[in-house]
Amino acid sequence: MTDERLSVLEAQQGLQTDAIAQMLQGHWVGFPSLEADLGALSPGIQLEPHPPLLSSEAGPPTPPDYLKHFYPSTDMPQQVYSWTCSACALDWVLRATQVAPNHTREQAVEEIGYPENINPTYGLMDANGTALRAVYDLYAIPTFQAWLNFDQVWAAAGHTTGQISGGAWYHWVAIRGQSGSDIWIANSAPGYAGVYDTLSRDQFNRLGPFSCVLLVP
Amino acid sequence: MATEQTSDEEARLTTLEQQQGLITQALVAALQGQWVGAPPSVEAFLYALNPTLQGTLNLDPPVVP
Repeated sequence: MTDERLSVLEAQQGLQTDAIAQMLQGHWVGFPSLEADLGALSPGIQLEPHPPLLSSEAGPPTPPDYLKHFYPSTDMPQQVYSWTCSACALDWVLRATQVAPNHTREQAVEEIGYPENINPTYGLMDANGTALRAVYDLYAIPTFQAWLNFDQVWAAAGHTTGQISGGAWYHWVAIRGQSGSDIWIANSAPGYAGVYDTLSRDQFNRLGPFSCVLLVP
Repeated sequence: MATEQTSDEEARLTTLEQQQGLITQALVAALQGQWVGAPPSVEAFLYALNPTLQGTLNLDPPVVP
């Protein structure tokens, strides 16, 4: 094979690689584009392009069933017992998502597991939220747990709900959404540690680190 | 009439064969709707074809129903 023929093959290979890069970036027609690369590979080729719908044109993805009917303004009554904040937040999420609209806090305590997983002495026994996630599993709601910073939780609050607990707060609340630059929360103990319906960056950093059990959006 | 290939030409042919294989796999991934993410995806095979593209692309793949 001559050097000249090898050079032609290398040039064609370069165009094919570029064509893949153009497709991946949504550049199907015009210049630079898949169409332009094909024109260079096969001069004179007649094309009638029908580009696909791109991710950037498709709008936001359809939320899962358990987030389709999420009502962030759902009422959050004050907790009666000091140790039930995690159960109150869990109960709120199940009611606010309409997954279990008639759910009760007593149910939540039982489902979490009294007294081995939640009790008057310690509240929720495992800050990683394993027992909480097990309850969400019962309702076929996929969740994930992570220790997140303020920006991560604020961003997540724009797409999903769940419940969070500050290590220095020793208190669980549920996520309603975003409120300007703050996190809008459903708080069963309004005023505790100076927090009511929103969590600011300063409050978050003062009361953290935060364990977050969030619904997969 | 057959001509003897130099080692340089052999090396270039080997590279071309490998690249051809990667392009074929990228086309398969595209047909299967695996555009981005970990292998086997179009994105992964593209970076194998040209590692210098990593971090330079603004991805906007087709919507896969």
